[in-house]
Amino acid sequence: MSFLEPLLLAALPLCGLPILIHLINQRRFQTVEWGAMRFLLEANRMARGHSRIRRWLILACRTLAIAALIFVISRPLASGWIGLAGGSESDTTIILLDRSPSMNQRDALAHASKLETGISQLSQALGLVRSKRWILIDSATLASQELESPQMLSRTVAANAVSKSAHLPTLIQAAHDYIQENRSGQTEIWILSDLQANDWDAENGRWKTLRDSFLQFQQAVRFHLLAYPEAAAANVGVRVTSIERQQTGDTAQLLLSIILTASPDAKSTEIPLRFDIQGVRTEHVVQWEGPQLELRNFAIPIDPELKQGHGRVTIPADAYPTDDEYYFVFSEPMPRRAILVADEEDVPRPLRLATAISPDPNTFNEVEVVRPAQIAALNLGDVALLVWQAPLPQGGDATRIESFVASGGQVIFLPPELPTADTLFGIGWTDWHETETSLAIENWRSDEDLLVRTQSGQSLPVGQLQIHRFCGLTGEFTKLAWLKDGSPLLARVPTGKGGVWFLTTTIQPRDSSLAIDGVVLYAMLQRAIANGAAARGNTQNVVAGILPKETTLNWKQLEGAGTLLSSDYADIAGVYSAGDRIVAINRSEQEDNPATLPLEKVDKLFEGLRFDRVSDSAGEFSALAREIWRIFLVLLIVVLFVESLLCLPSRKKATTSLP
Amino acid sequence: MPVDPTQRTFLDPQILARLASIPLFARKPMQGNVSGRHTSPHRGASVEFAQYRKYVPGDDLRRLDWRAHGRSDRYYIKEFEADTNLRLCLVVDTSGSMKVGTAGISKFAYAQRLAAGLAYLAVQQGDAAGLACVADGIVTAIPAKRNPAHLKVLFDLLEQAAPVGPTRLVETLHELAETIRQRAFVVIISDFFVDPAELRDCFEHFRFRKHDLAAFHLLDPQEIGFQFQRPTRFLDLEGGNAIFAEPNEIADRYQEALSRYLNDLKQATVTTGVDYHCLRTDEPYHTGLTRFLVGRGKAGGRR
Repeated sequence: MSFLEPLLLAALPLCGLPILIHLINQRRFQTVEWGAMRFLLEANRMARGHSRIRRWLILACRTLAIAALIFVISRPLASGWIGLAGGSESDTTIILLDRSPSMNQRDALAHASKLETGISQLSQALGLVRSKRWILIDSATLASQELESPQMLSRTVAANAVSKSAHLPTLIQAAHDYIQENRSGQTEIWILSDLQANDWDAENGRWKTLRDSFLQFQQAVRFHLLAYPEAAAANVGVRVTSIERQQTGDTAQLLLSIILTASPDAKSTEIPLRFDIQGVRTEHVVQWEGPQLELRNFAIPIDPELKQGHGRVTIPADAYPTDDEYYFVFSEPMPRRAILVADEEDVPRPLRLATAISPDPNTFNEVEVVRPAQIAALNLGDVALLVWQAPLPQGGDATRIESFVASGGQVIFLPPELPTADTLFGIGWTDWHETETSLAIENWRSDEDLLVRTQSGQSLPVGQLQIHRFCGLTGEFTKLAWLKDGSPLLARVPTGKGGVWFLTTTIQPRDSSLAIDGVVLYAMLQRAIANGAAARGNTQNVVAGILPKETTLNWKQLEGAGTLLSSDYADIAGVYSAGDRIVAINRSEQEDNPATLPLEKVDKLFEGLRFDRVSDSAGEFSALAREIWRIFLVLLIVVLFVESLLCLPSRKKATTSLP
Repeated sequence: MPVDPTQRTFLDPQILARLASIPLFARKPMQGNVSGRHTSPHRGASVEFAQYRKYVPGDDLRRLDWRAHGRSDRYYIKEFEADTNLRLCLVVDTSGSMKVGTAGISKFAYAQRLAAGLAYLAVQQGDAAGLACVADGIVTAIPAKRNPAHLKVLFDLLEQAAPVGPTRLVETLHELAETIRQRAFVVIISDFFVDPAELRDCFEHFRFRKHDLAAFHLLDPQEIGFQFQRPTRFLDLEGGNAIFAEPNEIADRYQEALSRYLNDLKQATVTTGVDYHCLRTDEPYHTGLTRFLVGRGKAGGRR
């Protein structure tokens, strides 16, 4: 327990006052000459036991009352977790800060964000706790930073929210690694977060691994969670889902698809959408009925000379200012060019059609069919997608393709008729497998990548595909779809900017029903083309935190928050120029989902570990270190009441009447 | 009878004059020296017929009842009751505990007044009065005598006595019961802070010796009420150890012990036929004395 007025504790010796008064009182006796000693002796003998206990209890009550009074006026603090600071000094105190955008939600009255509130509370409360070392790890950098004292917390860069989502398993892993590397002793880990489900990723298998790992630590590790799960009130958010520059003759316009989302308690009926495109402002008021409004291809006229640019859309600020703006960049659409590389003379028509037909009637895809040997002479600069159905390239061709992928290009490999032992991107083909009966798809990743659900939320009919023949794969890859026996159908290889996929069957009717089905194949190819076009264009809309920090060192900020370090550009929303490219960084889509993890689930994640939690709200500064003088006041009243009961004279027997 | 010219603090002429109208009676036959107003256990020459007795040679023929002879043809002698004086033996407790007095008068001073009043009344009506001051044994004692000059000696003795020292009341009373000639009127004035069972034995002893026993039990109001507020150190006036006590805490148990003691004592006096009077020292002594005399007067002299 700590005290706001510790000097007043110097009055604690006054607790001895009742004892002193009792002793003085004992001395202040009167002397009486007495004759009826026999009754006195008898009475004294009878009363000895109870009397002494009662006397001691009264003395104890009075002493406790004074002690309680002194504690009350000393304003004791308990850290929301009673008895927190009652123990010994810890060796290391690690502070894990969730700096995700949702931590920027503010209290309507206090105007302090969850992050600000939490940092302030932590600074105050940790100032009362003793520790040899103070380490800060935030969700943006994941780097450990030593602080002189907890009061320095608010002065660090980490005190500001970023646009990058947090990932709590990774953050806690960073703390785990720090403890392990530095062999710290007794450690207290303080987590500041708003419990957003997306950030906590409760289903991630790493939680169990982390739990087991912490349990194995010899030193005591205790977790404290300061949570702010309360969602911002009456919040409306804006997000741009797609942007396209369209030129028709002498006029040009931007086609923006915008989604507005509102919390259930938001009551706005009209939202003014403000567009700021390189200094030119327009406003459009939308009629709003919540919870979601989608504007598709909202046209904003722009200067036809403006081939490339940036802008942002904003709505009036509310309790969650981060989702009230969205940055975007645009440029002339890059040609959606695809190259089909095949050994066979005739590339199946369905493949050509699936690649050539653009889903957008206003854009056109270009498709070229070449032989593997011709790839060396091709200019891949404006190619979005490479579909390679031939033995894996080696040598110079492999290098070209690797460069192509590194610059954002997308490649889909289909198995050749005669696979070789060559590998590319660490993956190689093995043998063909034929099945007597068609194999159905066991499962596929519908949450992301090429087989993601459509915008309307419907899954692609991947489960309806029939696979008659497939080729095996070796190497490290991520399965996006797999067959009943676990063999991959579609696998993705981890790459930097571009995308590399391996489809283990062909569209030949003898191999699969991809051509017959058509939908899955088309969606895959068009998505790959779109990804490639977006990645290889001069503009890029990127989710915060995706790009490595090193890539932003030479960037310049065009729009966005105040003065930032260039190393932080990748994490903070804004528009940046990187040479002749411009990049818009925005929060991820998951950050607009306010769903928080139920507290029971949070507790379960730390099951078996020493863990305590305080839930509070932004702007409320009392949760962490709470004054508990009221407890002592109640104790004082109770003790005085008990003392008064004990002091009540026993009902005196009426004076003896004489016979 | 003239009052002693020496002004004694324990003598109030007005009270004595009021009390003088109430005779002092014994409840049992007394054995006096001279004729008096009290019943004698022996037969005498009073006017009150006692009984017939068969004539034996040597009896005074003047006492023959000829009518009885005429009726029965036998010779009967008439016997008459003898009246005698009583010997009042006052036993005054002069132990240290009698020094207690919170009502403006100590128990001893109260006892002095009672004893002096009784002695005066007894001598005034022709009876004898004696005194024994007891504490740790018989301190001083004078036999019972009838003459007024003896009253002065008795008063001097009372005046000189002082409440001091321990008490051996029980042993002393046994001694007195034995030494006082039978059929005396013994009045004990004490606070009786002894075991009631032992006192009962004393009373039995007196009854065995055919004494008419009266007991004045004197108690101070503070000894009854035990009203103390502060912690108190109680000094034993009879030389015992001092006790330090918190009166508030033990008051109810004190009352319990006192009540039990008084009940036991009352029981003892009832079973032994003692004329028992419990007096508070804040009550005027003449009230108790009047009550005592009137009660005896109603009971009358028994034969």
